[in-house]
Amino acid sequence: MIALLKYLRGYVRIKVWGFSPERFMNLCSNKNILLWDIKKEGEVYYMCISLKGFWGLRPIARKTGTRVAVLERCGLPFFIPRLLARKIFVLGFAAAVFFWFWTSLYVWDISLMGNYTITEDIFIDFLKQQGIHVGMSKKDVDIGELEKEIRRQFDIITWTSARMEGTKLKIEIKENTNLQTAPDEDEKYPYGSNLTADTGGTIVSMIVRSGVPQVQTGQEIAQGDLLVSGRVPVLNEDATVRKYQYVRADADIYVRHTIPVRETLPFYYVDQVYTGREKKKYYILSGEKEYTLSFSEITYPYYDIVSDSRDIELLKGLTLPFSFGTFTYREYLNVEKEYSLQEAEALLGEKYSEILATLEQKGVQIIEKNVKIDTESNGWILQGELTVEEKTGLEETIVPEETGSEDE
Amino acid sequence: MRKNRSKTQNRKLNKELLVESLKLPGDVVMGAFVVTMTGNRDAWIENYRGILEYTDTVILLQGKTCQICFQGTDLSIDYYTNEDMKISGCIKSVSYL
Repeated sequence: MIALLKYLRGYVRIKVWGFSPERFMNLCSNKNILLWDIKKEGEVYYMCISLKGFWGLRPIARKTGTRVAVLERCGLPFFIPRLLARKIFVLGFAAAVFFWFWTSLYVWDISLMGNYTITEDIFIDFLKQQGIHVGMSKKDVDIGELEKEIRRQFDIITWTSARMEGTKLKIEIKENTNLQTAPDEDEKYPYGSNLTADTGGTIVSMIVRSGVPQVQTGQEIAQGDLLVSGRVPVLNEDATVRKYQYVRADADIYVRHTIPVRETLPFYYVDQVYTGREKKKYYILSGEKEYTLSFSEITYPYYDIVSDSRDIELLKGLTLPFSFGTFTYREYLNVEKEYSLQEAEALLGEKYSEILATLEQKGVQIIEKNVKIDTESNGWILQGELTVEEKTGLEETIVPEETGSEDE
Repeated sequence: MRKNRSKTQNRKLNKELLVESLKLPGDVVMGAFVVTMTGNRDAWIENYRGILEYTDTVILLQGKTCQICFQGTDLSIDYYTNEDMKISGCIKSVSYL
């Protein structure tokens, strides 16, 4: 602390020699001039003295018959004039500070968190409509109004929080994930619904919860067949139909059918063999514009480009609207190669397991697999059949018939 | 002459008596040295008049009534003001002259 004060007020390191340096020091202390770091080397005394005290040394030196020489100037009073001599530097420094301050008054980044069904594009478009965009002044963002408008615009959003973090506008939302959709569905089917087959096959099991079943277990059905009718007849005592009640047909019906599988792979393929030669170009991305910092031509016949970019973040939360990165141009040659049996098996097997995985994801149960790999005239072929069991039934709305549907 | 001396001695004794009986701080009234030392490396001195001699082996200070002499090696004055000063170095002896 004391060292800082000494630095701020400035001091000089002097050397004193002559008739009576001790008396010189005593007079200094009598005049309340602070001396420190007093060293003696031979007949010469070295000491530090405050700048203010130094100006009053002349009469003391004359009185004591000593001589004083300045060795070193330290402190702010000496530093500032030297700094001011470099006008451009000071100007640049001030400009940098000003620029930094000025850029921090704008929104340079908008982040959205907590969205599941609302995509970021939709949200950004919405923000644009509200006049909120990257590069706008921070004080023009009305956070409270924005939050209200978000809730007004999107019914699904139940909670919003918007806040400025540095130059970043952070918007957090919560969506209502368990929406009550059932009532809407019922409205879609005012006269109930039928279940029709969306896949053909043999019915292996069926559980009907509502509606009149039109098929039975073991029956062959084709695509589009009516499975469960939502038109439930209400009978009179003499077994004639009194009227029809309309319900939404609901059933679990599983059919067994076969799916053909066919995957092909040519014998030959073109492989990209990298030669190891590559060129790098640096670029700066500002908004939509891209500036490449190199003008050398790429002379490779075939090449691909790997780009790597990063945002400039001065401080945490202070991002600038620039990003920079590199394009790496990698040369390659096209070489024709032949698949070996193992490679073909592996590649076809991969495709095959992908098919199986997508089927399983859809809830399809695979009962039997009959698939093999063979060669054809122009390549490898994987073909065969899969016997599967899957749920069928497509809900279709009933168009009520004019006659006989209502009470007589 | 002799009478005179005994008179001043008497006055001195009276003053000491007064300081003692009134429990006044001795350094203020008598102008005595206040020396604070930590080990043999540092010494803080108050109530002096000035430096009489300063080398790296001897520092001789003038007080109101007597002189104090620090002897040692590598002696130096860290700071020196009207009120107090600090001596650092290897102090071997302190003597009053």
